[in-house]
Amino acid sequence: MKHAILSCNGLDKPEGSVAREVAIRASGAAGSEIICPVLLNRAPARYKKVLGESSLIVVDGCSTRCATRLAASVGARVERKLLVSDAIKASGHPLESTLTLSADGIALAQTIVDGLLRDLNAPAPAAQPMDTFEAPTEYLVVIHDKFEFRIPVVDYLFNENDVWVRASDGVARVGISDYMQQKLTDISFFDQPKIGGTVEQFGELGSLESTKAVFEIISPVSGTITAVNPAAIANPGFINEDPYGGGWLVEMRLTNWQEDLELLIDPAAYAETVKRKAAEE
Amino acid sequence: MSDTTFMGVPRDKIPWFPTIDYDKCNFCMECDTFCPHCVFERRDGDRKLVVANPNNCVVFCRACSKTCGPDALSFPDKPEIIALIKQVREQESAK
Repeated sequence: MKHAILSCNGLDKPEGSVAREVAIRASGAAGSEIICPVLLNRAPARYKKVLGESSLIVVDGCSTRCATRLAASVGARVERKLLVSDAIKASGHPLESTLTLSADGIALAQTIVDGLLRDLNAPAPAAQPMDTFEAPTEYLVVIHDKFEFRIPVVDYLFNENDVWVRASDGVARVGISDYMQQKLTDISFFDQPKIGGTVEQFGELGSLESTKAVFEIISPVSGTITAVNPAAIANPGFINEDPYGGGWLVEMRLTNWQEDLELLIDPAAYAETVKRKAAEE
Repeated sequence: MSDTTFMGVPRDKIPWFPTIDYDKCNFCMECDTFCPHCVFERRDGDRKLVVANPNNCVVFCRACSKTCGPDALSFPDKPEIIALIKQVREQESAK
């Protein structure tokens, strides 16, 4: 599928100036159309065709994430999100507070574009190490009002942040619980963690966005990220449809499993957690 | 005594909640709009936003800070909080 680029407009903050530069450079390198956020907001029909044919690369300047919000408001398909303020933090060099791009700002924009092109051109993830993973068949069911929350009876452990782990031979799959997917409602974007990155127990494994909320995925285990679920990225609705099976999120090589177990809970204990949370809402 | 717990530890013994840097905060209220747990409250006066319900904050969640344009929200160090939770759990199980 083609890409189009929707960027922060970049008029009143240095981060915005970098975002705009990223959009221009990425457009030139990838041959992608730039969508003007002001025009999209004012006259969305102008971009109906390109939005229908393309998935978006969204470039936000700061955490206000105007471009992300605009993309959500028009129901656009988002493939990648870039956040300049995070890239500044990662670079370790604060940006000069001028609206005219400095040499550092230009270099930062190019670094962000280089990373984007690397990601876009990277081969699809290799075959998953847990191909034999079988979906659960037996569930505990927590009933609250008209809702039913399913919890697999065996093989799954949870943290109290509504994230499950299923581990076998030093590797594990991670996803969110049925309770959390129902709470989020229709998930529209999986902001994936970097493959090859390491995370500690209770560290962040990316986030999920729905029309209702943003959910930070809190890792139940420590390890190295070996795969993310391409199906969940291409169609985040899988996470709602099958949270314990095809809607898994991340696979990890475990680094501290025995210690991590201390702060994981079994399905029965998680059922009690869900009952409590549902009652508190 | 808090009537809620996290990993068996009373919530009010876990100091996990955002801190607002009032030198940076521009009171845009994005974090308050975002947070479904009513951690923040709007007030009259100079400090138009406060962390009024710290124990409502979901332990280890930092999602509100990602809505903050001026980067005015900070959270405690996760490993320190994990160590604290383990320590309290050990004390409780030794009783």
